Amino acid sequence: MLVEFEPMDDFEQELRQAFERRPAPPSLKRKIMARRSPSRPQSHAVWWQRLAASVVLAAMVGGGVLWRQAEGRRKGELAREQVLTALRITNHALNEMNARLAARGRAQE
Amino acid sequence: MAHDWQPDFEQLVDTHQSMVYSLAWRMTGDRGLAEEIAQDVFLELDKHLGRIESPDHACHWLRRVAMSRSADALRRRRVRGVDLWVEINENHGTPAEDRSSPLGTRLEGLLATLPEAQRAALVLRYQEDLTPEEIAATLESPLATVKSHLQRGLKLLRAKATAHLKEYVRETKHVGGV
Repeated sequence: MLVEFEPMDDFEQELRQAFERRPAPPSLKRKIMARRSPSRPQSHAVWWQRLAASVVLAAMVGGGVLWRQAEGRRKGELAREQVLTALRITNHALNEMNARLAARGRAQE
Repeated sequence: MAHDWQPDFEQLVDTHQSMVYSLAWRMTGDRGLAEEIAQDVFLELDKHLGRIESPDHACHWLRRVAMSRSADALRRRRVRGVDLWVEINENHGTPAEDRSSPLGTRLEGLLATLPEAQRAALVLRYQEDLTPEEIAATLESPLATVKSHLQRGLKLLRAKATAHLKEYVRETKHVGGV
């Protein structure tokens, strides 16, 4: 019997001939290649687009972080300057008041 | 594992298109559907090309996927209530270039009447000349099941062919006599 690999009988030989591979339609390969070729550049293009979008996004996020850091530093410097200015003004006013008090004390004596 | 063989997709299509198309056609009985299945199988191969290790691996992969996609197509058609084998019987009568011999055409028509699992086993056995072990690997079925399908399918086909052969001989004698 066939399954046990005994020689094929006439019927099985006839089956083998009847079930020979049929030639594929001539259009089959063309259709396969046509369906394949547009997908390839497209997939590459999609990958490049994804990469470009990722780079732009990373640049935007990085830029935003750097901008926030710089802005924070700038605001800190400004606040420091304001505090120093206020201290200078206060110091100047105190010195002036001190000088006036000293002058009045001398005048009373 | 490293392998030196580099698959060439176009060459694989050239080499295996008739195998994939014939498997799909004999399983579904629909030329148009078989062509669609063959296209899908090769496009799937294209996606998996990096994993194909050798020409034999490519051939085995294509057989397995062609049989699996054909079974899927039959299942979808069954769900929709379409009887594909009505189409194959109609199609078999039409194109003259596909007729290997009248008896061969009759045998193909009789194959169409077998249950799907038996048909799959017989197609792989007689079209692809595979051993039962190879058929079991292709269909991902137990070897005992495949052997059973082969035996039952062959017995059924032989019985149907005997009945049809008598009719065929009668017809040819009748035509010859006229």
